[in-house]
Amino acid sequence: MTDPTEDVAGVGLLAEGLHDPGPAPAGIRRAPSGVDGLTTEHLIINMGPQHPSTHGVLRMLIEVDGEEVVAAEASIGYLHRGIEKLAEHRRYNAVGTLMDRGDYMSGIHGEMAIALAVEQLMEIEVPRKANWIRSLTSELNRLANHLVWYGTFGLDTGAMGQFLYSMRDREALLDILEAISGQRMMFNYVRPGGVVADLPAGIDAKIRAFLETFDTYLDEHDALLGGNEIFQGRVKGIGVIDAGKALAFGITGPNLRASGADYDVRKAKPYAAFAELEFDVPVGTVGDAWDRYQVRMCEMRQAARMVRQCIEGMPEGEHIAKVPKVLRPPAGEVYACVESSRGETGIHLVSRGEDTPYRMHYRAPSLFVLQALEDILPGHLLADVVMIIGSTDVMMGEIDR
Amino acid sequence: MSPTAGVIVRFVALLGLMLTNGVVMIYMLRKVLGRLHIRYGPIHVGWHGTLQTVNDVLKLLTKEDITPSAVDRWLYRLAPALVFVPSLVAYAALPFSPDLAAVQLDTGLLFTFAVLSIVPIGILVAGWASSNKWSLLGGMRAAAQQIAYEVPLLLSVLPIVMIAGTASLGGIVAYQEGTFLGVVPHWFIFNPLGLASFAIFAVAALVELNQTPFDMSEADSELVAGFATEYSAMKFGLLFLSEFSNQFVLSALGVTLFFGGWMLPWISAEAVSSVPGLPVAVFMLKAYAGIAVMMWIRGTFPRVRIDQLMQLGWKRLIPAALALVLVAGVIHKAVL
Amino acid sequence: MWGAGLVNGLRITLRNLRRGPIAVKYPYEKLELPERARWAVRPKYFEDGSPKCTACMTCVRTCPDHILSLDVETREDKTKHIDRFGYEIGACMMCGLCVEVCPFDAIRMSHEYELAVTDVSGLDEALLEDVDAASAQRHRAASDGTKDPESDD
Repeated sequence: MTDPTEDVAGVGLLAEGLHDPGPAPAGIRRAPSGVDGLTTEHLIINMGPQHPSTHGVLRMLIEVDGEEVVAAEASIGYLHRGIEKLAEHRRYNAVGTLMDRGDYMSGIHGEMAIALAVEQLMEIEVPRKANWIRSLTSELNRLANHLVWYGTFGLDTGAMGQFLYSMRDREALLDILEAISGQRMMFNYVRPGGVVADLPAGIDAKIRAFLETFDTYLDEHDALLGGNEIFQGRVKGIGVIDAGKALAFGITGPNLRASGADYDVRKAKPYAAFAELEFDVPVGTVGDAWDRYQVRMCEMRQAARMVRQCIEGMPEGEHIAKVPKVLRPPAGEVYACVESSRGETGIHLVSRGEDTPYRMHYRAPSLFVLQALEDILPGHLLADVVMIIGSTDVMMGEIDR
Repeated sequence: MSPTAGVIVRFVALLGLMLTNGVVMIYMLRKVLGRLHIRYGPIHVGWHGTLQTVNDVLKLLTKEDITPSAVDRWLYRLAPALVFVPSLVAYAALPFSPDLAAVQLDTGLLFTFAVLSIVPIGILVAGWASSNKWSLLGGMRAAAQQIAYEVPLLLSVLPIVMIAGTASLGGIVAYQEGTFLGVVPHWFIFNPLGLASFAIFAVAALVELNQTPFDMSEADSELVAGFATEYSAMKFGLLFLSEFSNQFVLSALGVTLFFGGWMLPWISAEAVSSVPGLPVAVFMLKAYAGIAVMMWIRGTFPRVRIDQLMQLGWKRLIPAALALVLVAGVIHKAVL
Repeated sequence: MWGAGLVNGLRITLRNLRRGPIAVKYPYEKLELPERARWAVRPKYFEDGSPKCTACMTCVRTCPDHILSLDVETREDKTKHIDRFGYEIGACMMCGLCVEVCPFDAIRMSHEYELAVTDVSGLDEALLEDVDAASAQRHRAASDGTKDPESDD
C-alpha cells in the first residue's frame, strides 16, 4: 500500500515542474532571461486555505512569473464534511438541515432542491400559498447572498466601506428571515410538501419597510463600487469566459448568463411560483468580471421586484400539503434542480422506498466554475486572480460538501 | 545651550512628537474609518476609546518577538530600523512656526525628500529578508511603486521652488504671506501652477505613503500584510509607526508647500507668530486635516493594480510633471 | 469626466458617515428576538411545576444528530420516572425538529443564545433529572377540561 502522503507532492503543479510561459498577454512585456548571465525562475505560490480573499478554504497553487500567472491549480477538500454520506442516514425532513450547510449563503435554495426531489418522487402537490412563500423566501435569500458577494468583492479590492454597507442591508433581510423561519442562516424552513409554518403576522409591514429603502441603498452600492473608475479599471476585461466554453464546463447561473447564454432554471423549468411572477433575466455579452458584476446587480433589482410582487399577491391557503410524518418515497430516482444564487443547484435522489435516501448527489454549481478557473487564470496578474475568484462567487461549502 | 545639548533636546522633542503622532493617528484612523463604515470604532478603553492606542502600544511591547528560522538574520533585524530612522529624520526640516524648526536648512525640501526615499529600501529589505513569497511580492511591489513615484513627487514641487526662489521650507512658507488683490491668499494652492502641481503631488504622495488606493505592497486582501507579514511585536510596531509618521510628514509637507504652513489667511505673519503657540497649533491642525482627507479616501476607494499604477506613474504623471516644470519655468522667466 | 465616479463615491461615504452607526453595543444593548427564533431547547411544565414530558422517545428518535437521550425507569404500575433527559447542547444545531414532532408540546425552543461555558462538561446538559414523567391521561384531561397553562421561565 503506497503512502498517500507521498503522492500529494507529486501531483499537479508541483510535479509537472515549471511551465513554459505562453505568449505574453497584451500590455505585458517580459524581461528577457539570460541577460548578463542572470536567469529568471517562476515561483509557485500557495494561495493557501487561510487567506483573506479565497471565499472559504480554497487552496490555489499559482505559478507566477513575477506578477503574471502562468499556471494555476485549485486544491479543494478543506471543508469536506461528508454531506452526501450523512444524507443517507437522515430522514427526508432532516436532509434539509444538511443542505442548509452546503451552500450556507443560499439555504432556502438548497432545501428547496431536496423538497422538489421528494415531491416529484411522491407526487405531492404543493398548495399555491406554499409555493408563493417559497418564492418569497427564495428571492429574499438571493438578495442576502448577492449582498455578501457585493461586500466581499469590494473588500477584495481593498474598499472596506462597501462591505459594511451591504451588511447593514443584509441585517434587515436576516431579521425578516429570522421572523419567518426562526434562524438567520440555517433556516430549515422549506420541507417536502410546503413550508413548515405560515408567514407570521406583521411580516409584510417589515418587508415593505425594507423594500422602501432598499432601492436607494442599491443605487448607492452601485455608484460606490460600480461607478468607481478605479474599480472599473480593475474589473473590465479580466476573466473572460465565452459562452461556448462556459457551457462546455457546465457553468450555470449568473456566471453563464454574463457570458451570453440565456439559461435560467426559473424560466426554463419553472418551480414554486416563478411561472406566475414577472421578472427579467439579465444576460451579459462579453463574459468578463465586469459583466458578472452587472448581471448580479441587475439580479438584485429583479429579486426586489419579485419580493414586492410576492407580498402584494400572496394568496390564501395552506402552507403545507398533507404529508405523512415520516416520508417514505417510493423506489426510484429523480433529478430536481433550482436556480440558486450561484447557478443550478441540483439533487439527484435515489430512493429504495425507505425513510432515508439511498443515495443523494448534490450538484454544486461553483465546482464547475472552479474547474474553469484553472483554464482562465493563466495570463492574468496576481491581483486579478483575487478579482476573478471574487467575481465568480465560488462557495467552498458547496464545492467540498 | 551647548550645541550637543541642543541636538539632544531637538532629537528627544522630535521623537516625542513622532510617538505622540503615532498614538493620536492610530486612534483617529480607527475612529474615522469606523464612523465612515457606520460603526463605532474603539469605545471601551478610556473616554470614548482614547486609551485604546496606549493599550495597543503596551500590547506590542509585551508581545513575543518571533523570528522565523529561515530569515536572513541581519537583514531581518535591519529592515525596521531602515524604515523607522528616516521617518524620524524627516521631521527635521518641517517648519512648525517661524522660529521653531529642528534645523533651518536652505535645502530643506530636498533634504526631506532624500531622507524619505530611504524608506522603500527598508521595505524591500523587509520583504526579501522574511523568507516568504508573499512578503517578497510585497517588497518588490514597494520597490517598483515607491521608488518610481519619487520622480513625479520631486518634479511636481519644482515649480514651487522656482516661484518661491528657495528650497528652504521656512522660506517657502514666508513667501506665501500676504494676499493677491487683497482677496485671495498668496498660498500656492490658489496659484494655477500651484494647483496643477498639487494635483500631481497629492497622487504621488499617496503612492509614496502606501495608502489606499495605492497600498499594493501591503494589500490586505491579497498579501495579508505584505512585506510586514513575518514581523511581530515591536518590529512590526516600528514598521507600523513609521507608516503613520510618514503620513504626517507628507501631509505636513503638503501643508507647508501649498497651504501656507503655519499662516492664517488674511492675517499677517507677525500677528500669527506673536501669539505663543498659535503657529504650531495652526500647522498641526492643517496637517491633521490633510490626514483626515487621506483616511476618508482610504475608507472609500478600491485598490489600483500594480501595472496600472506603474502605467499611471511612468506614462502620465512623469510627462505631466515635466511639462509642468517647463511651463512654470517659461512663465517664471517671461512674466516674473 | 473621468473621476466623477470617484468624487461621487466620496460623497456617498460622507453621507453614510452622517447617517450614524448602526452597531448595537452588545452586551450593553441587546436586540429583541422574534417569536419564532430557535435557540436552546428547554422543557415545558404544567401549572404545578411538573414537567409535561411523557418520555415517549419521539424527539430522541427524530433528532438528526442523536443529541437527546432519555434514561427512563418504568415502574410496576406503568408510570415512568425520568432519571435523566440528556441534551448535548454543545452539538445541537437548533433545527427545531424535536419541538415540531413532540406530540405533547413538552419542549420548546427558547430564546437563550448566551450559551458559552468555560468547562467542557457544561456542553452536555440535562433537561430533566430525577422527575416523574407526565402521563398521557393527564394530557388528555388537560386538553378536555380547562386549558392547563404551562409555566414558562
